[in-house]
Amino acid sequence: MDAAMSKSGRRLLRGLFGLVVVFLYAPIAILLVFSFNNSELPSFPLSGFTLTWYRQFVHDPELIGSLETSAIVAALSSVGAVVLGTLASIPLARRRFTGKAAASALLLSPLVVPYVVLGISLLLLFHAVGVPRTIMTVVIGHIVISLPYTLLVLIPRLEQIDVALEEAAYDLGANRVQTFRLIILPLILPAVVSAFLISFTTSFDEYAIASFVAGTRATFPLYLYGALRFPNRLPEVIAVAVVVMTVSLIVVVGAELGRRVAERRLEALAS
Amino acid sequence: MAGRRRRRLDLTTPGLLGLPLAWLVAFFLVPIGIVGAYSIDVFSIFPGKHPVTLAGWHDFVHSAVYLKLFWKSVRMSLIVSALVVLLAYPLAYYLALSGTKRKYILLLILIAPFLTSYLLRVLAWKVILGSNGVVNSLLYWLGLRSHDNPVSQLLYSRFAVMLVLVYVWLPFVALPIFVSLESLDQRLLEAAADLYASRWQAFRRVTLPLSVPGIIAAFLFVFIPTVGEFVTPSLVGGTSGYMYGNQISDLFGTGFPDWRTGSVLALFLLGVVAALTGVFARFLGMRQTAAR
Repeated sequence: MDAAMSKSGRRLLRGLFGLVVVFLYAPIAILLVFSFNNSELPSFPLSGFTLTWYRQFVHDPELIGSLETSAIVAALSSVGAVVLGTLASIPLARRRFTGKAAASALLLSPLVVPYVVLGISLLLLFHAVGVPRTIMTVVIGHIVISLPYTLLVLIPRLEQIDVALEEAAYDLGANRVQTFRLIILPLILPAVVSAFLISFTTSFDEYAIASFVAGTRATFPLYLYGALRFPNRLPEVIAVAVVVMTVSLIVVVGAELGRRVAERRLEALAS
Repeated sequence: MAGRRRRRLDLTTPGLLGLPLAWLVAFFLVPIGIVGAYSIDVFSIFPGKHPVTLAGWHDFVHSAVYLKLFWKSVRMSLIVSALVVLLAYPLAYYLALSGTKRKYILLLILIAPFLTSYLLRVLAWKVILGSNGVVNSLLYWLGLRSHDNPVSQLLYSRFAVMLVLVYVWLPFVALPIFVSLESLDQRLLEAAADLYASRWQAFRRVTLPLSVPGIIAAFLFVFIPTVGEFVTPSLVGGTSGYMYGNQISDLFGTGFPDWRTGSVLALFLLGVVAALTGVFARFLGMRQTAAR
């Protein structure tokens, strides 16, 4: 007998799971359908297939520009967050020192602060020290929110690595830098890549903080938010939504599966 | 040997942690300090000298408007968090305990929407709920409603805000609950069954108590961001869905900026969230959650 659930209970839960999956994916499917719908208004009945909206967004310089801006911001902020996260994760995963609890609490605390508070506090900081708002101020803010995520990926991975591997490297005369480069880094590389991707997608999608600290150059979410006020831009926005969602789904799911495979292989090699 | 290693590594700890900590001090702690300074007029948007004053705090505590709005936001987020946890729990239970071989694939299917754009998922609901949107146009088309009589409560309402927030957070919340249920020793359930507990008794007396940390973590992971939410309400909330976060955002906007009041509101929100986090910190177990 299965102690956790009966046969009918299992069927019930499976049914609920199916319903929730429909609830989660139906809105995305609806966007997909209307992105090909030949009408200015996303409403029923459907009025024929078209690629107009896709063509229109590809030729919209403002939209393409905002995608570029977001790509730059996301690339810079995720590199920054991964570098800082890797530096911090080594002592947090491996060493004992006074103030460790406080250090890790500080590093993780942006996770539990509403973005509106982070956004306005950075706005006031840049105002107080007289830094003009540009894409660099957005990058700074995005590093703050991405850094905790990189730690959440990197620390558990580092904790899995056998300390004996490092000790062996030291015994063989490797110095700290060599040990990191030749032993640790290859072992945590899958986690570094997924930390990078999480930071990248976090930044690429981030509206709240950017809305306070961005200058005149709009990131993609800022452009999107603005475009939502103009009904005639809606079909084009739906088309770009479909593309962005598809790409991010592929990247994220692919990265997660890739990380599992890579880590399993490394595990096999290390043991 | 061990001593040598420890000494050598200890030396580098400040070197490794220095930069990340400095970053958060400069761009997280100091800015919050500056918000504090604005809230008591040490800094101000108006040029010239200002006496330090607690007037902003005094006005806030005695203003019915802001506190009422805060409680409205708290109520909305509590409902959203409770709904999300109630919905996610059976799903996580199914994945963790049904013994299905595909549980990680199913978990990924559940979580994947969370990893796509937040704003675009809100946009999808705007398209669905609008007065000429998918739901209404479907009703016209099927002849269930006439064009002059759309279901107008759908968009720009408190209902829309809460529906969208549930939609947005549901995938994410299954994760911490799944983690706490998966680490449950299933032999405990067998033992309960051996001792003639029914499945329901085993659930109520064994599984549920042991998954409380996951439930609390899940609850907070939804409550904290939604109580300060302003993006979703500004897109689908209209005036009746207006939340505390919108008020903060508007006080720093270009219309009628009032940075002192805005700073007070932001710090109050931060204080409430920090207190909650402090009380429940041991349940948050962020690392275990991330290990998946």
